[in-house]
Amino acid sequence: MKLPLICPEKECCRGKKECMPGKGLPKIVLVGSPNVGKSSLFNALSGSYTVVSNYPGTSVEVSRGKSRIGDLEYEIIDTPGMYSLLPVSEEERVSQRLLFDEKTFVCLHVVDARNLRRMLSFTLQLLEARLPLILVLNMMDEAEERGIEIDIQRLSLSLGIPVVGTVSSEGKGIEELKASIMKYSHEKLTQEKTTPEIDYGPEVEPYISKIEGLLETVEETGISKRSLALLLLQGDRTALDFVYSPGEVYRHKIEKCEAGKNDFEELQNEQFQKLAETASVKAGVPLSYLFTLKRQEPVNEIVEQVMGVQGKEKEAAKETKNEKKKRETKKVFLAENIDSVLTHPLLGIPVLLLVLYFGLYRFVGVFAAGTLVDLLENRLFGEYINPLVTTWFTSLVPYPALQDLFVGEYGIFTQAVTYAIALILPIVGAFFLVFSIIEDTGYLPRLGLLLDGMFKKIGLSGRAVIPMVLGFGCSTMATMVTRTLETKRERLISTILLALAIPCSAQLGIILSVLSGNPNGLIVWAGVIVLEFAFIGYLAARILPGEAPTFILEMPPLRIPRLSNIAVKTYSRMHWYFLEVLPLFVLASVLIWIGRLTGLFALALKAMEYPTVWIGLPSDAADIFLFGFFRRDFGAAGLYGMHDAGLLTGVQLVVAAVTLTLFMPCIAQFMMTIKERGFKMALAISGFIFPSAFLAGFIVNTLLTALGVKL
Amino acid sequence: MIAENSHLSLNPSLKTTTLSSMEPKKAGKISHLETKNTGILQKLIAMGILPGMPVTLLRRSPSYLFEVDQTRYAVDREIANHIYVSY
Repeated sequence: MKLPLICPEKECCRGKKECMPGKGLPKIVLVGSPNVGKSSLFNALSGSYTVVSNYPGTSVEVSRGKSRIGDLEYEIIDTPGMYSLLPVSEEERVSQRLLFDEKTFVCLHVVDARNLRRMLSFTLQLLEARLPLILVLNMMDEAEERGIEIDIQRLSLSLGIPVVGTVSSEGKGIEELKASIMKYSHEKLTQEKTTPEIDYGPEVEPYISKIEGLLETVEETGISKRSLALLLLQGDRTALDFVYSPGEVYRHKIEKCEAGKNDFEELQNEQFQKLAETASVKAGVPLSYLFTLKRQEPVNEIVEQVMGVQGKEKEAAKETKNEKKKRETKKVFLAENIDSVLTHPLLGIPVLLLVLYFGLYRFVGVFAAGTLVDLLENRLFGEYINPLVTTWFTSLVPYPALQDLFVGEYGIFTQAVTYAIALILPIVGAFFLVFSIIEDTGYLPRLGLLLDGMFKKIGLSGRAVIPMVLGFGCSTMATMVTRTLETKRERLISTILLALAIPCSAQLGIILSVLSGNPNGLIVWAGVIVLEFAFIGYLAARILPGEAPTFILEMPPLRIPRLSNIAVKTYSRMHWYFLEVLPLFVLASVLIWIGRLTGLFALALKAMEYPTVWIGLPSDAADIFLFGFFRRDFGAAGLYGMHDAGLLTGVQLVVAAVTLTLFMPCIAQFMMTIKERGFKMALAISGFIFPSAFLAGFIVNTLLTALGVKL
Repeated sequence: MIAENSHLSLNPSLKTTTLSSMEPKKAGKISHLETKNTGILQKLIAMGILPGMPVTLLRRSPSYLFEVDQTRYAVDREIANHIYVSY
């Protein structure tokens, strides 16, 4: 997931389109498969920061930065991972579109050196597209650990482009890469170009030429006619859009004819389709399959020439190297063993529970939300800062209405700022710290593998584990990451579940800490939430139309997290979160203030009292839910306050916690849901959640009371 | 189906099955991919799971875990049924 850049010169654009740090400069675009180190290379080149993780599919947005290389400034663009020029998922389409649209100075195709055989095919595609290209062999250290040797010079010769080996996480090879960018000249290389064009065979070549003939170039652009023709033959949507949309650089020759645009599009669409179908019949297999196989032939040839796995004789000859290798093999061996425990169908579950217990409960719940918050909120702010500020402000501003706005019960300082800094920040920070560690080790894909079977029952694949776990940190962020899921249906189900049943870390932390003195209550709460999650997921999987999801996920090797990366990542996420939450907290304070002045707040509170009393809570608890409209965690913070004051019984506390967890998404998540799923869908999801949260609270209260349970 | 035929005729002694019924920990090669479901096919080829690549099945449960060349993948049964291997 792309979080806002933290640029050194404070040019941070928070991911907004209109602000581009390096606008107008020559563009360097990073492309490549997921999880090959594009983001860390981006950081190394641009000196700014995007989140680097050890799982595929974290970058869902394009990041832009600026860099000075030699005497020139460049715009550096980091793209979501893509496996080939023909996109399968939405985020791949984002990258593909970018390659179509942007005029690049040079593309850096970043590959994982170990997997050259698998990734070189995309290099050939990029060359076929006539994109100016430098190949970056990243993670050279991991390749060496496995005894893989690559003849970089020879590779460069056979491809006809510069090739540079790097270890981007350690900054190795970055200077060489910069030197190679400085020297880069596309024209010179194309003149000397040595790579022969790939021949896709007599069955399909005529069709490729035929489509190429239908296209005409209006001006110089990113992608070659031949590439476009190949994509059109494979029915690629982006390529079709590109050919048809007015003002694009490629136009159809016949566009000048008299026919209306719609008729024309239909006509041409049919024409492409017909050509593709005939070609596919001739070839006997789907064209994408054929093209890939044909491309793999030269790839295999090149790989045979340039890549070698260290021979045994060689090892014996070099004893020191041999020893080193032994040690490294041992390291690989240990990782293997841990890996087989993590992915074990039986042993994997207790490991997961341990991670949840220590990571979530002990660290986020008890330590951060309990000890740390107590220290910050009650002591530091409650006893020292707030009384001081209140006295100072009251003596300075003699108007009670303004005093109320800033330092009153719901004041901007006494409530919004205090909650944000003393309550929410430590909890969210603790969660992001744990999440970053888990993420960097490569545990999340293993969790996906472990839980795929269970997730299938609720209409999701194991891939959805990533947004779901992230949802425990910030559901808003997680809603954004649902973009990495493959089908619309999966994206919808996960958005619903995130809005409904997954509590964010602030909420979770407070609920855990409020209920930590009440283990039975904690179990009831957790049980109800898990049940609701499973029930709604199961229902959604049954009701929503569409195909069942399939699961395929790359397993990165287990890695020991790098301390600096974790620190920077945690900080960056906290920064994002804080900028997200503080304005909303302040807004909430202002709205409440206006509401209290005009009497609307009392009215809304009165209205909220009905469902509140209906689920067996004191009417005072209504304001917890009203706060919940502004932020889920804000509401949870109110719960914390009531619990502190001893206003709730055990059963009431559990009922309130259940209702609040299932309650409406916060404003930020609601906005994100609109952005990702559309306004209607967001409204429908909220319309469903509001009554169902209270219904669940009602049922829990009725059952517990009827059974005479004391918690 | 050029690839699979030539491969098979060269090695008549080899056994060809789907990845889902391959014996774990045995080294084999991907012989071909089932081509009827183009969605799955496209995903597989994009990720570099291609005929001719060396393949080893590591685990069948909780999901299928296998290694192609230097990379590991986890897939469900549905997808594992689309990959044909010979060993």
